[in-house]
Amino acid sequence: MIFPRVIPLGDRALTITWPGGISAKTHRWVRGLLSKVEKLADVEDLVPAYTTLTIFYNPAQVDYQTLSRRVNAILKSAPVDAATLAGREVRIPVIYDGADLEDVAKRTGLSTDAVIALHSERWYDVYLVGFAPGWAYLGELDPSLALPRRASPRPRVPRGAVAIADRQTGVYPFAVPGGWHLIGRTGTVMFDTSQGALLRVGDRVRFEPVR
Amino acid sequence: MPVSGAMDRWASHAANRMVGNPDDAAVFEWALTGGRLQFDRDVVAAIRGPGVSVTHAVRAGEELVLPRPAVGRFLYLAVAGGLDTPVILGSRSTYLPAGLGHAIKTGDRIPIGSLPTTGATTPADEPRYASGAVRVLEGPQRHLFTDDVWDQLQRTEWKVSRASDRMGYRLEGEAPLAAPAADLPSEAACVGAIQVPPDGLPIVLMADGPTVGGYPKIAVVISADLPILAQRPPGRAVRFTEVSMDEAQAALRALSGA
Repeated sequence: MIFPRVIPLGDRALTITWPGGISAKTHRWVRGLLSKVEKLADVEDLVPAYTTLTIFYNPAQVDYQTLSRRVNAILKSAPVDAATLAGREVRIPVIYDGADLEDVAKRTGLSTDAVIALHSERWYDVYLVGFAPGWAYLGELDPSLALPRRASPRPRVPRGAVAIADRQTGVYPFAVPGGWHLIGRTGTVMFDTSQGALLRVGDRVRFEPVR
Repeated sequence: MPVSGAMDRWASHAANRMVGNPDDAAVFEWALTGGRLQFDRDVVAAIRGPGVSVTHAVRAGEELVLPRPAVGRFLYLAVAGGLDTPVILGSRSTYLPAGLGHAIKTGDRIPIGSLPTTGATTPADEPRYASGAVRVLEGPQRHLFTDDVWDQLQRTEWKVSRASDRMGYRLEGEAPLAAPAADLPSEAACVGAIQVPPDGLPIVLMADGPTVGGYPKIAVVISADLPILAQRPPGRAVRFTEVSMDEAQAALRALSGA
């Protein structure tokens, strides 16, 4: 494993960063470390992302120096293994009738059926949960579906819209502005006030076409 | 979910202590304007914020005037027993972007809680709201900025933009900061993080700010000075000065109630 950098994020968080950019391998290290620090004392929140894991702590209970020593000791003690992080398999039914489906097919040179097949016939990892409550960045999308974000974002994307951009896909948890390509919709609730976000880092997601 | 909650945690904790509540009891927060509240039972209430520290014993049926913040931006009202607003995901905080709770409007009725209260205390020394620089730590992407830009961040008299809210304070300065071209994979952000988007005008993330972001974070405001920044009204000046982690931690210990 490449040894990551541990640095402060203000005086109540620290971020562990792996070099080399976004990759499935780096994200396995992120998830692996996540599984090892979940039980650390004095931790208030954990935010895994593409190449980073951020640990929020209570500065009244522990200081940066102590916590970074503990994290470095964990990083040195054993290779972190993503397999120890318990994730769930979540299936999300999708009606593939999104406003951009035809456009995506045209721009990728595929039929709409092929777009649907490429989007639904694989498992996605949850890379990151954030931006809006319940928004999960899912990857990686088949490279033949990768398109840059829309030149001009829509002022309002409806709740439940299933969308793609670059090598990512996701579901809009609320009606918010957005620049991703809309290929379908789902009734699955991505965020509610009793459960919080449906998806967590470590979960695997599959979209199932509904006719 | 964002941290949410009070923009000035020191003042909300102080108001709670003045009525004997636990620090994290739910309080009223209001900004830039005032209002009036009527109580349908006898209560002890305290208002706290920059230059304001007052406790009232209000009788049932009486009206309490909530003054307009004169020096700062936010004031807090704590009621003995706390406010019994709904707990969502472990918090009574209102978070408008996700529709959790709503802004108080004329005619609303808000239930008072029954939290056990202890002896009321009055925290004396408020943060130096009106004067002095806001202290910052180097941010996780400080290395992507030149030393000149780092100096410029601290040399500039920034102005809190009118486009500032509970999510973030935009800053305006004489010249924008030269932002790095590097594309950053989205990663965790935090309250107090000073992001520099491509236009070079910094944005300080506040209580309702995003949990993740891809803009480089040149610096992070220390926890002890977040109340000072939060209380700067739109159009007012703010300066930043670098401190060490040791100084940040000592400042937080010194600021009781933070």
